[in-house]
Amino acid sequence: MLPVIGAILVGALIYTVVVSIVPIFWADLVLFLRADLGIAATIFNAILLFGFAGSIMFSATTVGNSARMEYLLVMPMRMRIIFLEKTIVIILYNCVLWMVIGFPILLGLGTISTYPLALLAAPIFLVLVFMLVTMGVSIGGLVGLLFSRLLAGRRTLKQIGYFILSTLAIVVSVFWYYSFYFSDNGTVFFDAIFRIADMVGLSSHLSPGYTVSAISIGLVVGAPFGIPDIVAAILFLIIGISLVYANSYVCEIAHYSGWLASGSQRTSKSEFRINHTSWNPRTYLPFTFNTTTSTSIWYNIASIRREGRVIAQYLVGPIRWVIWIVLPGLYMADQMAAFTPYLFVAALIPFATSYGLSFAGYELVYEGKNLMNLQLASANLVDYVKGKVLSATPFVLGASSVVSIMILILYTSMWPLLPAVILGCVFANLVAGSVAANAAAMGGDFRAERKITRQRGAAVQMPIRGWSMLRATLMPNIVAYVGVFSILGVGALNPLYAYVALSAFALICYRLFLSYSRSAGRRLSQIEASEYL
Amino acid sequence: MIEAIKLTKVFSKFTAVKDLSFQVQPGEIYALLGPNGSGKSTTMRMLLGLLRPTLGTARIMEYNITSNPEDAKRVMGYVPEEPVLPERLTGYEFINYTADIWRIPRGEKREKEITELLTLLDIEDASNDLIEVYSKGMSRKISLAAALIHRPRVIILDEVQAGIDPRGAATIKEIMTGLASQGATILMSTHVLEIAEQMCDRIGIINEGQMIAEGTMDELRAQARGQSSLEEIFLTLTGGPDMQRIADYLGEVT
Ligand SMILES: Nc1ncnc2c1ncn2[C@@H]1O[C@H](COP(=O)(O)OP(=O)(O)O)[C@@H](O)[C@H]1O
Ligand SMILES: [Mg+2]
Repeated sequence: MLPVIGAILVGALIYTVVVSIVPIFWADLVLFLRADLGIAATIFNAILLFGFAGSIMFSATTVGNSARMEYLLVMPMRMRIIFLEKTIVIILYNCVLWMVIGFPILLGLGTISTYPLALLAAPIFLVLVFMLVTMGVSIGGLVGLLFSRLLAGRRTLKQIGYFILSTLAIVVSVFWYYSFYFSDNGTVFFDAIFRIADMVGLSSHLSPGYTVSAISIGLVVGAPFGIPDIVAAILFLIIGISLVYANSYVCEIAHYSGWLASGSQRTSKSEFRINHTSWNPRTYLPFTFNTTTSTSIWYNIASIRREGRVIAQYLVGPIRWVIWIVLPGLYMADQMAAFTPYLFVAALIPFATSYGLSFAGYELVYEGKNLMNLQLASANLVDYVKGKVLSATPFVLGASSVVSIMILILYTSMWPLLPAVILGCVFANLVAGSVAANAAAMGGDFRAERKITRQRGAAVQMPIRGWSMLRATLMPNIVAYVGVFSILGVGALNPLYAYVALSAFALICYRLFLSYSRSAGRRLSQIEASEYL
Repeated sequence: MIEAIKLTKVFSKFTAVKDLSFQVQPGEIYALLGPNGSGKSTTMRMLLGLLRPTLGTARIMEYNITSNPEDAKRVMGYVPEEPVLPERLTGYEFINYTADIWRIPRGEKREKEITELLTLLDIEDASNDLIEVYSKGMSRKISLAAALIHRPRVIILDEVQAGIDPRGAATIKEIMTGLASQGATILMSTHVLEIAEQMCDRIGIINEGQMIAEGTMDELRAQARGQSSLEEIFLTLTGGPDMQRIADYLGEVT
């Protein structure tokens, strides 16, 4: 009940602000908006992207854990209906935020506007947002199912997949938003669809986001959006609905064939029994740590969660950050071209710190009950936490190297600074990981894993609660941005300075890593079993 | 040995264990017997140092669990009611991981011991499968193997036989009897009466967090005057099924 009241209050507030401020510049606004109805396409396409990224593994996870909802599956109805219901819950959840913000804005604009159909904009917007999110979520679900099918039963490949996926996310999200901000309305991404659309004689402005923008803003300012826009909207709606259905249908097939079920020891196609070769904790690193630390590193890499919600958390956090803060900031700068390499670095940093957050923070919490084994064995939890933090290092190293290579291709002259950027990210990640581990030890919901497996609102449950979560994300990002950009800044004067700055930064990071790991470990060793059992 | 001294555990307002005292001597197998929710697991967790007693304390060997938990834990092995296992590791990897966490030196000796344990418990075949594919019984066996890997002198088993096949149960029984005869102190909980009857030297019956009867089978028999089977004793002490309600329910259904 409280969230509903909150949402209504927020909505009312937004509405009030809009109707009291916008009339002042209404005339100018109308001119501005009429000039390009696709002005908000970027935002609306982003809604689709969020829906997509936020639920990329959702269906696969639901099917994979279907044993845990056998109580539902035995009900006398088609199984796809049950999967459909799960998907719709996710869709609605993903819609709410946009609706709470968008609806009152359009309602406000509709009230101010003198155009006859303006008041229709708000309710139609609701339908259109639903359409966007539906498309995003179902495409995400289907992609996730596809990936899971490819990876079923292949543990090593999954590990590599995790790495590739996150690197891809950095690169793609930078390019995607690069294109939004600097060229057009994000047409690059929908090129294939456009070509087909052109062939059948529809306008080339055919991204879902553009359609939503054209129709809702068009209604407000009384600008004619064409028949093609309406056709497109209906078409997208139909596509969205078909995709959701397809998604739940594929879920059903996947469930029956059993290749996703956690607990299948064989791939469904062949009788072949999967025998996993044992991983040896200590052989994969060139360094030697003490037993507890190296065991912890190995354990974390071997068992890191790859389920939907975790990858979603991992991806959406930084993407959100990059999209709303980093890129608009750079958009302001006129001398665009010179900034592009920095754009990549700026986009890389939140991903680097996010590795720390998810490997050391989330994983520590999801480890939940395993804390018991550690406490019983009187393991040195400070060392254990260090291991968790360090387990992210190879991934950060990989991702930042890939991004650096891209920068190198575009801006060869940057080469002397790139190793410093890579190492800067690696050290920043140590801070991120240990701060997150500490936040997890303070505010971790050690039963989070169980709450999630109940399937409802899979992506909702945050493993770390409230302020601790804020602390876990804010501080490391500030450290990382200040550090890495200081390195780049002084490096612009003389590359050698960059390495002096890097040494100082590394030292600071290392100290922070030690002290936060220590604090995290101490807290963890004192946690009572009733917190996690 | 294990010595529980007036253990009490209060969860916010609910008292799960109340003023519970008992001793288990080296070489002895002791069963905590009680209905679901009577406080067996909570008692064990206090003995293990996983939960802090609200009142009272416990001694494991010569160590006080509240003031010296590290040394006390070092000598204990525990198989929880719901085994805590990392699903994405293979059984073999998990045992190795546990051994590392316990800081048991790597090497041939350790390898050999692990293989022996796995073979003994009939799970060697499955040791290279991911734990997520294990059945309940297999998980429990892996958990048992992990609990024994550091050769504990005090062993705590929480309903270890649940879900295990007869052969497995017999194996566990033999292992435990053997370890006890070598001087291990063994505390187990169960609500399966035959197990308590066949395997244990002494039995403590608890209900609603309190000890209501304690002793060897013979002593319990004497206490419950005349009743010969443990089932009768147990039901007399903890209350039998509500026959009237059962009859009502069956009547409604038909
Ligand atoms: N962390 C906890 N918080 C609150 N109540 C608990 C907690 N753990 C156990 N209990 C309650 O304590 C009682 C005894 O539980 P438990 O020791 O698990 O019983 P048993 O193992 O004998 O079945 C139960 O009523 C249970 O609900
Ligand atoms: Mg119990």
